[in-house]
Amino acid sequence: MIRYFLHRVGYGILVLAGIAIILGLLFFTYLNNNNQAIYEMTGQNTSAAEIERIRDEYHMNKPVLIQLALYLNDLSPLAYHSHSPNSNLYFKPDSYHGFRIIPIGNQEGFFLKAPYLRRSYQTQALVGSTLLQCLPGTLILALSAMILASILGIFFGIVSTWTYGRWPDKFLLFISTLGMSLPSFFIAIVFSWLFGYVWHAHTGLNPWGNLFVIDDYTGQSNIVLKNLILPSVTLGIRPLAVIMQLTRNNLYDVMSSDYIRTARSKGLGTISVILKHALRNALNPVITAISGWLGSLLAGAVFVEYIFGWRGLGREMVNGLQKLDYPVVMGSILTIATMFVLINLLVDLLYGVMDPRIRR
Amino acid sequence: MLPIIDVKELVVSFGETDVVKSVSFDIMPGETLGIVGESGSGKSVTSLSLMRLLDNSGSIRSGIISYRNKKNEQLIINRLSENQMRALRGADMAMIFQEPMTSLNPVLRCGQQVMEAIRVHNKISRKEARERTLALFEKVRLPRARQIIDAWPHQLSGGQKQRVMIAMAISCNPRLLIADEPTTALDVTVQKEILELLLGLQEEYGMSMIFITHDLGVTTDIAHRVLVMHQGEVVESGKTNDLFSHPSHPYTKGLIACRPPVNNRLRRLPVVSDFLSGNCNILEQEENTISKHQREEHHKQLYAGDPLMRVEGLSKIYEQSGGWRKHKITAVDQVSFEVYAGETLGLVGESGCGKTTLGRCLLRLIEPSQGRIWFDGQEITAMNPSTLRTIRKSMQIVFQDPYSSLNPRMSIGDAISEPMRVHGLYRNRSACKKRMEDLLTQVGLPISSAGRLPHEFSGGQRQRIVIARALAVNPRFLICDESVSALDVSVQAQILNLLNDLKKENGLTYIFISHDLSVVKYMSDRMLVMNRGRIEESGDPDQIFAFPTSPYTSKLIDAIPGKANSYK
Repeated sequence: MIRYFLHRVGYGILVLAGIAIILGLLFFTYLNNNNQAIYEMTGQNTSAAEIERIRDEYHMNKPVLIQLALYLNDLSPLAYHSHSPNSNLYFKPDSYHGFRIIPIGNQEGFFLKAPYLRRSYQTQALVGSTLLQCLPGTLILALSAMILASILGIFFGIVSTWTYGRWPDKFLLFISTLGMSLPSFFIAIVFSWLFGYVWHAHTGLNPWGNLFVIDDYTGQSNIVLKNLILPSVTLGIRPLAVIMQLTRNNLYDVMSSDYIRTARSKGLGTISVILKHALRNALNPVITAISGWLGSLLAGAVFVEYIFGWRGLGREMVNGLQKLDYPVVMGSILTIATMFVLINLLVDLLYGVMDPRIRR
Repeated sequence: MLPIIDVKELVVSFGETDVVKSVSFDIMPGETLGIVGESGSGKSVTSLSLMRLLDNSGSIRSGIISYRNKKNEQLIINRLSENQMRALRGADMAMIFQEPMTSLNPVLRCGQQVMEAIRVHNKISRKEARERTLALFEKVRLPRARQIIDAWPHQLSGGQKQRVMIAMAISCNPRLLIADEPTTALDVTVQKEILELLLGLQEEYGMSMIFITHDLGVTTDIAHRVLVMHQGEVVESGKTNDLFSHPSHPYTKGLIACRPPVNNRLRRLPVVSDFLSGNCNILEQEENTISKHQREEHHKQLYAGDPLMRVEGLSKIYEQSGGWRKHKITAVDQVSFEVYAGETLGLVGESGCGKTTLGRCLLRLIEPSQGRIWFDGQEITAMNPSTLRTIRKSMQIVFQDPYSSLNPRMSIGDAISEPMRVHGLYRNRSACKKRMEDLLTQVGLPISSAGRLPHEFSGGQRQRIVIARALAVNPRFLICDESVSALDVSVQAQILNLLNDLKKENGLTYIFISHDLSVVKYMSDRMLVMNRGRIEESGDPDQIFAFPTSPYTSKLIDAIPGKANSYK
């Protein structure tokens, strides 16, 4: 089991490295041939000398592969740096967080550090800390949406299998098909308008708002949980529908297997047959779906974050793209990829828990 | 004495079709009733309706199933509520199913599943249930009961799983045990052990038993009375010995006759349809048996020439990564033998003995790890991929499962013509089509079936199609890997006859792989007995049957069901 886990971790790191390389090749090639990003920083009237200075400062005048190597060196937790301010590998104390572990010569050596995602072109803020501030918002939103979708989806899936072919099943199927076909940006607007504005007096919900609201008088930031309700319900609707149908279909297939007949021949009732024998066997595909959805919710909650004014990764990335703020965009993509890899790791472990045949 | 189960004019239907048509029978306490029939005869459906375990699509249309419970009350099974029925299931009536591999829930430990059965019907603590389960595991003679109670089903062998199932079934002292083909998926030696276990338990608990099987041999070993079912009807019933010595219905006669006999050699196996149509007389004549002298003459001719295939020191070693070290599993271990042109070489052994791996190594469908193979003077093991492809034209294989070896979206005609096209045998389409039609006729299928899809055919017909496809490239050498194991006995007889006819017409050489000793004995001129990757014994099957030299072979022969009171 441990070996299996380490294998998976190794694969995960390889995947991340691959993504970083592809990202670097794409973006640095673009930056090398195009001054658009610099104009976004300083305006259209920048002089040629100024542009050259900026290109030099950001290494944009170096060959793409060198830029890529420097970027990967910045990302890697164990990297080669120098204490000398003149070096390309200068370990700037206000940007990097770490220390030298293997000294080579006077100034240089291998450093152990937190991955450095560089600074925003626009604000000069550290991308890492900006993303770290957005990440909890996105995580909380995606997780709560998925937890809601999983619990309700599996529950309705069970109800649907139990009443297979009868009216509750048909009704649930109809509703879930409807839920699947509604795009989230549309639902977001409708929900925000209906529950936050039209029925505000009854629901008490706001049409938009962040999880953390800063009190105007005291300056304290408070957690406002009710602002989570609308965005997470909106985000959760489609996965809920998918999970429900997946649970229903898999459960129905499993219900015709031999060991279910064995369970019935012992004298168990339908409910205990479903809960004790069928459910665990039916859930593997559902877990796969849940993990996939969770990953894409982390990446693609943009519309919902935008409409409900929720501060998260998606919004940050869209802003970065608009301003050609590449460090922010690359950092966001890498963060999302890391989340994907972590989720998959978790799911692999979960498969082992659910199905003893997978364990080694 | 009153019967424990009394079934009167039971009709079970799926949708509009009646699968069981007016079946009546009863079972006395302590009695074993054997229900014999081929697939689709309605025997499993009958037994499932006794416990009302039919799927949603099946229902009891009419008839009465009455059951006398432990308190000697008469209950009408098909009028009980679902709750009343649940109280009966497991406690009064229990069932063992055919597939031990799939009948246990893969995500629950073996012990848990038995404990659950106990605790559904008895209000006892977990600990007590566990104690009882342990005792049951010892009763069904599971080795290392304390480990198996916490083992997952996939860690046990098929026989062990079936023992867990039996433990589960007897856990609440049922009055009636229904065993639905409980040994069909098991090796003969394991089958024998399980049958003995069931007989012992039945005596100890005084249970009645319904034993469903397609294998007449098994029935003679275990049942007091037999019910023969055919297309949803009971065609004959009676005391086991009477029924087998004096069958009255043509179907029963056919079913008994179409099994390859162990005692004498027939040219052609009789088939059920011969009996049903009433022209079975030809088959009973002297001409149909091969005398010892004829066989010896034939063999003299066969073994005079050079061998067609020679195998020397063939091994296949699989490496399995598990834990920190790599395990090596030797599937085939230093095997050497020859195959002569025109003979049928039988290869027999239990599951896992390496017979399938060996068969595939011969065609290099699996790369052998060691050893050399010559075919027709050329060394197969030294060939490059392109010459190997040309030589494969003369060597073909027919697999076990006729259901999965045909592409469901490809018409029969296309499936048969494809190998001809791949090998570029015919220049024009019409010659190819002509050959395809000839092949269909040869395997006894109408030419009109060329445009149809595999799902429109029965298992036996599909196996005919697969054989036609193998013959499409005019091979000289055919490997039949368990080619009749998935078929009913009556269909099996037809396919065996077909294989023998084709051999005569096309001058083929066979390697016939099977786990069924009597079938291998019937088919082969020489026979190899395999055990753990090695050849235990080889020679003339008649000789081996009469005087087995290895203890393993005699154990195998001993385990052939129905051998003790072999029926005529």
